[in-house]
Amino acid sequence: MQNTLALVVTTPPNSNLTTTAINLVHAALNNGVKLIGVFFYQDGVLNAAKHLAIPSDEFQTLTQWQQLSSDYNVPLYLCITAAEKRGLSDELNQHELSNIDKAFTVSGLGELVELTSKAERVVQL
Amino acid sequence: MSEQIQTDKTIAILNTQAPFSSAAGKEALDAALIFGSFEQATSLFFMADGVFQVIGDQNAESIELKDYLKTFSALEFYDIENIYVCAQSLTERNLTANFHLDNVQVLSNEEFSQHLHAHNVIYRF
Repeated sequence: MQNTLALVVTTPPNSNLTTTAINLVHAALNNGVKLIGVFFYQDGVLNAAKHLAIPSDEFQTLTQWQQLSSDYNVPLYLCITAAEKRGLSDELNQHELSNIDKAFTVSGLGELVELTSKAERVVQL
Repeated sequence: MSEQIQTDKTIAILNTQAPFSSAAGKEALDAALIFGSFEQATSLFFMADGVFQVIGDQNAESIELKDYLKTFSALEFYDIENIYVCAQSLTERNLTANFHLDNVQVLSNEEFSQHLHAHNVIYRF
């Protein structure tokens, strides 16, 4: 597909590379690039941790991902194997007690393969 | 608009970290094997501390870690046969060509760079 982008996030919420990733998503959306999905792998899966409490005067990564999902329908794919190794579980699925935020779609490395093959460009942070 | 899957895309997995200091090496190998299982043309690259991942006779159990290096033997079943190692990184670490894999190609900086950039997508771990 023409002018499409897949983004792979491998850094945790407190990394400034995650902030760069979010800025990149905004830049893509503002410039007519179709973002076909963001894949969270390695420590990047921690971005989906619902109970993460970042001080209110600091950059709120989770709020940013939630807005990108709700306002622009950007699909957020979570590698569940990497997530489970880091304390996140999809056992409760969409239940309110789940520790994975609803904006994220539980998936696996197969999704990374699909995004990689479909997107014209791939960026990893 | 119909979505086209680009089947001629080549994937490079670039390893830059030592095997047992973090999960990066194992997660890179997991990704490589999944790309291979989807019949994507995938190559492995090792540079900087990543070259420690191809050195034989390591004892992961002695530090209570799973020896994922054994899993490298699965690469051939997925037709992942291109394994490139940076010669300078080996020299800088005083490592000899004692590899636990058979089909390792040791390349100069220039050759390593040329091979790496011959791929469409580079994932760095």
